[in-house]
Amino acid sequence: MENRARYIYGVAAGVKAVSLGPIGIEGNEVYTIPCGGFCAVVHSCPAEPYQSGDEETVKKWVKTHQGVLDEAEKALGTVIPMSFDTILHSRDDAVSPDRVVEDWLKGDHDRFQAVMERINGRDEYGVQVFYAPALVVKQISDENQEIRKLREGMASKSPGMAYLYKQKMERAVKAEIERLAGDWFRDFHRRIKGHCDDIVVEKTKKADRDRVMLVNLSCLVAREKVSNLGEGLEKINNTEGFSVHFSGPWPPYSFVVKPVAPITEEAK
Amino acid sequence: MNPTRDTHATLVDLLDRVLDKGLVLDADLIIHVAGIPLLGVKLRAALAGMETMLKYGIWQDWDEAQRAIATEEYRQKKMAMAPEGEVAALCHKSDRTVTTVL
Repeated sequence: MENRARYIYGVAAGVKAVSLGPIGIEGNEVYTIPCGGFCAVVHSCPAEPYQSGDEETVKKWVKTHQGVLDEAEKALGTVIPMSFDTILHSRDDAVSPDRVVEDWLKGDHDRFQAVMERINGRDEYGVQVFYAPALVVKQISDENQEIRKLREGMASKSPGMAYLYKQKMERAVKAEIERLAGDWFRDFHRRIKGHCDDIVVEKTKKADRDRVMLVNLSCLVAREKVSNLGEGLEKINNTEGFSVHFSGPWPPYSFVVKPVAPITEEAK
Repeated sequence: MNPTRDTHATLVDLLDRVLDKGLVLDADLIIHVAGIPLLGVKLRAALAGMETMLKYGIWQDWDEAQRAIATEEYRQKKMAMAPEGEVAALCHKSDRTVTTVL
């Protein structure tokens, strides 16, 4: 039976129907469906989502989704990336799934135009800044007068009192880290933002024992400014107690989520 | 420094983006993928591992505070610094452990 749906990887500018080969998820043939100046990068599939309880399988699918976007960009230029498992289907047997995709391209034309203007010539980068808590705690304990006093006072106290002092000291250290982390966050955010056309503050994640994620950003960066961003991050990375994770270039996944206005001069 | 891709360390960056982001359709012709977002969350939770919480870790409220700061910075461009008291208040519940920081 003919497949009733199309898995959509992304949307590019273009009027030609081209084949990109069997590079899709599960080795499916990837091709473009053009309509109204834009084309969807798709493969033909049954009308059901890709689902699996097996992590490795999902990872493979996700990597393939990204791989197709990479190839599509080489062949077609800037691609608006779709979220994983975006599948359009035809509910009417008389209407072909390709036609459904064409209607969608036509209907959302203005939105694609706006998104395309915004992301053209730019890529997304992930930037995460971590700090080393052990180092910071040591530094605070040495430099903060209140905390130093508590630590010194502990030595001459009875075990019960020493315990209370220790608790008090830990609370003071935490409060001081929070205060400093707020300052660091604002400072790094401001410095990084200067190199980006747009920025999304992501939730921080648990890192590992030796480092805490302080800043997690998705950055939309003009291609000619990437080296500047890299230099800026290098400085942060070289600061004692801090490290930077810099990933990309990614398709601008984080900047196509909502309908958007083109980047203004002010935002630059 | 140069950005990297295609290493194990960047797999989470990729999953975050492909599973959670990208252009989303609201057309009624899209297949409903109820199982997938859940799978995504589960997958990423597994990837993050179940490390012991750091004693001085980042916790949920603090995380929200960061986002609040950034939003505030956008809204009030002239204000370079958020009032410290506000941040401290948001960060106060420091003893809470976080199970979902993803």
